Amino acid sequence: MRKSLILTFLLSATALFALSQQEKPLDPFEEAMKQRQQYLQNFGILPGDLFASQGEELFHAKRGPKGKSLEECDFGLGPGKLEGAYARLPRYFPDTGKVEDLETRIVSCMERIQGFKPEVIKRDEVVALTTFVASKSTKAKIAVRPQHPAELAMYTLGRELWYTRAGPRDMSCAICHDNYAGKRVRLSPVMSPKQGLGSEWPAYRFEEDRMYTFENRIQFCYTSVGIPAPAFYSEPQIALTMYILTEASKAGHSFQELPFFTR
Amino acid sequence: MKRLIIGVLALLGLATSQPSPFKARLESAIRSGGDTYAQVLLSQDPAQQLCTQYRGQLPPALVPQFIQAQKALIRYPQGDKLLGEWQNGQKVFTDPKRGNCYACHQGDSKELAYGTMGPSLTGYGSRGASEAVLRYTYEKIYNSWAYVPCSLMYRGGVHGLFTPEETADLVAFLVDPHSPINQR
Repeated sequence: MRKSLILTFLLSATALFALSQQEKPLDPFEEAMKQRQQYLQNFGILPGDLFASQGEELFHAKRGPKGKSLEECDFGLGPGKLEGAYARLPRYFPDTGKVEDLETRIVSCMERIQGFKPEVIKRDEVVALTTFVASKSTKAKIAVRPQHPAELAMYTLGRELWYTRAGPRDMSCAICHDNYAGKRVRLSPVMSPKQGLGSEWPAYRFEEDRMYTFENRIQFCYTSVGIPAPAFYSEPQIALTMYILTEASKAGHSFQELPFFTR
Repeated sequence: MKRLIIGVLALLGLATSQPSPFKARLESAIRSGGDTYAQVLLSQDPAQQLCTQYRGQLPPALVPQFIQAQKALIRYPQGDKLLGEWQNGQKVFTDPKRGNCYACHQGDSKELAYGTMGPSLTGYGSRGASEAVLRYTYEKIYNSWAYVPCSLMYRGGVHGLFTPEETADLVAFLVDPHSPINQR
């Protein structure tokens, strides 16, 4: 309870701060680092870390109809083993028979272990849990290497979606994120997976005053080119994540400090 | 013999009208993203399909007919008046829901938040306002794929993000000497 109060206070403080800072466009990366510094000086903690600690509480609490914690949830390295687990996701899980990304895995564990019905699972909680689990892979080398047939199939689907031109703006992910990588959309730099696209999520975006997971980021990309966003935990989300992080793995990238702090 | 040929052709037709297993799998994945998402992704026009299939690099043999088909999509304003009002053009140029041109292009030199994916348009008017310049500018804005197949620049006119008249306004914003595009 107290944590969420602090959170609300911090978030509104940022919104005000961001508004007062909109005179001259700065390099977005430098700007974010400056804001990050200000946060640490003024509050001694970053907003993303508050989400992570909220997620940590949720992770260990006995909850749901079955009254269990998520400590039994296997993220691929064994139940409760979280260090570096995010760096190997998405991956195939024999217990669900599906390829899952971190967010989908959290949801399937909440359903199977804690007994939650899908419709009562709150997005806010999934975001906090995702932030917490991902924080255990800070600076980890991204190691998504599809091997299982279901993983390879998911990668191929993701690659096809990556190149799919659609919607009223004739867009695909590739047209910007491959062909024009290194350039800017307005002030935002655009990266390719080979340049490490995907290494910064989940991140707190101070411009939006929100925590963005990988799935939030994919939704944002689609809506900003006029295409309705694919639902959370759906296959387009998992497939695109699989494609992007596999390519980032091939190029030898590591995650940033997670949760990241960005514009 | 004839019957056999017809039989084989019918079979072939059946085979090609069936989606491949990959296409079927892709479609089911897309549908899992929700109705509104699937509706847009599964209703690509033929040009979007070709640009997807060839990853944005059409084989040279397909280019002439592609360009011809795109030219045929261009609509022109009443009385073929290709030069409109630059003030209105500025609004369409800037509006994120319409032209959204600053996402990729530099324009008015006072606007600092511009993208760098497209060429700078600041000072575009220096190439004059001949009939050839107006026509090229109009057609490129209305349907960029009539000039560069599968380019990043979207077909704003074709998709109705702006009308033919508003396209002429955008032309004016680029070429009119009084437009902020052409002020230093």
